[in-house]
Amino acid sequence: MTATPIVIDCDPGIDDAIALLTAFVSTELDIRAITPVCGNQPLERTVRNALTVCELAGRCDIPVHPGCFRPLFREPIHGQFHGRGGLGNAELPEPTKRAERRSAVDFLIEALEAAATGSRLTICCLGPMTNLAVALRMKPAIAAGIERVVMMGGAYREPGNRSLTSEFNVLADPHAAGIVFSSGVPIVALGLDVTHRVMLQPAHVARFGDMSGPIAKTIFDLMAFWDRNDVRRYGSRGGPLHDPLVIAYLLAPQLFRCERARVFVEHESELCMGQTVADWFGKTGGEANVEIATEVDAAVLELILGRLARYDAHVRA
Amino acid sequence: MTRPKVVIDTDPGVDDAVAILLALASPEIDVIGISVVAGNVPLGDALGNACRIVGLSGRSDIPVRAGAAGPLVRDQVFGKYRAIGIFGDDIVAPATMAVDTEHAVQFLVRQARLAAASGELLTICAIGPLTNVALALVQDADVARGIGHIVCMGGAFAALGHRTPWAEFNFYADPHAAEIVFRSDIPMILMSLDVTCQALFTAEHVDCMRSRGGKAGAAIAGLLTRFDRSDLARYGRAGAPLHDAMTVAWLVEPSLFQMRPAVVGVEVGGYTAGHSYADFHGQTGRAAKVMLATGVAEAGFRDLVIDRMARYGKRSAGGGG
Repeated sequence: MTATPIVIDCDPGIDDAIALLTAFVSTELDIRAITPVCGNQPLERTVRNALTVCELAGRCDIPVHPGCFRPLFREPIHGQFHGRGGLGNAELPEPTKRAERRSAVDFLIEALEAAATGSRLTICCLGPMTNLAVALRMKPAIAAGIERVVMMGGAYREPGNRSLTSEFNVLADPHAAGIVFSSGVPIVALGLDVTHRVMLQPAHVARFGDMSGPIAKTIFDLMAFWDRNDVRRYGSRGGPLHDPLVIAYLLAPQLFRCERARVFVEHESELCMGQTVADWFGKTGGEANVEIATEVDAAVLELILGRLARYDAHVRA
Repeated sequence: MTRPKVVIDTDPGVDDAVAILLALASPEIDVIGISVVAGNVPLGDALGNACRIVGLSGRSDIPVRAGAAGPLVRDQVFGKYRAIGIFGDDIVAPATMAVDTEHAVQFLVRQARLAAASGELLTICAIGPLTNVALALVQDADVARGIGHIVCMGGAFAALGHRTPWAEFNFYADPHAAEIVFRSDIPMILMSLDVTCQALFTAEHVDCMRSRGGKAGAAIAGLLTRFDRSDLARYGRAGAPLHDAMTVAWLVEPSLFQMRPAVVGVEVGGYTAGHSYADFHGQTGRAAKVMLATGVAEAGFRDLVIDRMARYGKRSAGGGG
């Protein structure tokens, strides 16, 4: 079987880092590029963190193209649970790998134009969707090069996380999300409805404490920092595995149940800014534009942890 | 003094055509490229018209590049004169030049970065919806650093009621883009309808362009006659404004204008989307980065346009390009 060609658009970020590490050891995926964007951290940091994670995992072969330094319209907001530099307490050296000169937007346009006549690319969006939205607005025809967008974002039947109604990635750039949703490309959305069901708990994290090698140690540090310690909110200790679910979906879509709906993004009301409003029953007369994940099998957690355990085997080999 | 490097961001459009020809006949500025955006007409028509006008000027060395085909967020609207489409062959000859393959937004990003590095800042003459400029600004902080100022045609403060009761077309067509540009804090020179409607060109002035301006003057006269924007009821006298050309006039002869500093913003949502406001009294608490033109010497502006058009006539009379 040939590997699925993907681009990982992200804003690392702890859960982005875990997603990247999961993807790096998954031979089902052919990672063509990483395109960091302003999100959980300012752009300078997300680029640096992406380079750091590539270097840590020995994947300096993957080009990192720096993306947009700010959201399309709103002022930047950043994540709250990622530590000062975006990778928790993980102590990592300054990367020697360098970012590409070509920007994420230029890369996406060129790669998707080529993909339109060859094999189409899957775009994994783990952060605010500014890069893809700008590329689509510059050249709408690149939509033909997108196999589909698999995104972490939105809160459909679940309340928001960053605000009462809204999930962070969509709130950070609601205009970009609106552009991507209305572009006509196939979209799978993994929102808080499913990510809040996949909690990385202290017992899971402890397994990595027993493994050897610098990568296992970093994985352990990242995961340990991710514990929200908010049982009232999440029903248990631990942290929701938002971004890694995108990679898990690519590896095992059968673990997810999806429902099709038309999604609208609120971008005018300050109270509900960034809310993803799903038309489940065709009330608006518009066609469904998104496959929204509504249920997830608990086995997905072992899938992700199993992939991450491969780093331990690397060290022993 | 070195000539400022200017990119014309445009959606031709009849008054855009005058602005481009005026710029290309003005040695005071160095036009390094034309970036085209959908606005008055769809992108394809605007590109075709830009190429025709650049061809007409004899400056086919100046690249024309394709930008955004529609606004950032809102549904697309076209100008009142959308019916213009591609300028008729009988008025402006078909283009012999091709559209450059680089994207207009990539071009803006590249030039602004170069300018930020060299310190020789770029001037953008923005006479369509601001979509291209906004898409460039989002990509790299150096883009705003590399732009010395933007000379923009857009907005209305007192002279309301042209495209909608509350908004001027360029801002109405992409209010988000306009607001992104205003919030970037790049110094701006703004030619709103308040000032562009102060200078009118009558049939007599159009005849002057036709008789003195060679092929270019004849083409402009043809366009201005076919798509006549005179409005006796509105302006109280004969003649039609040439909105976009005022931006180039400011670059060439700023002494024609009275200016006033202001903070300017654009309403992006609700019923009055596209409405622009000017804060002259510091009520927003923001630094006034916009110089708003409040008055123009009408005869001086008209003479400038007609004299520069006449340079095309002299060229063709002299047989040169």
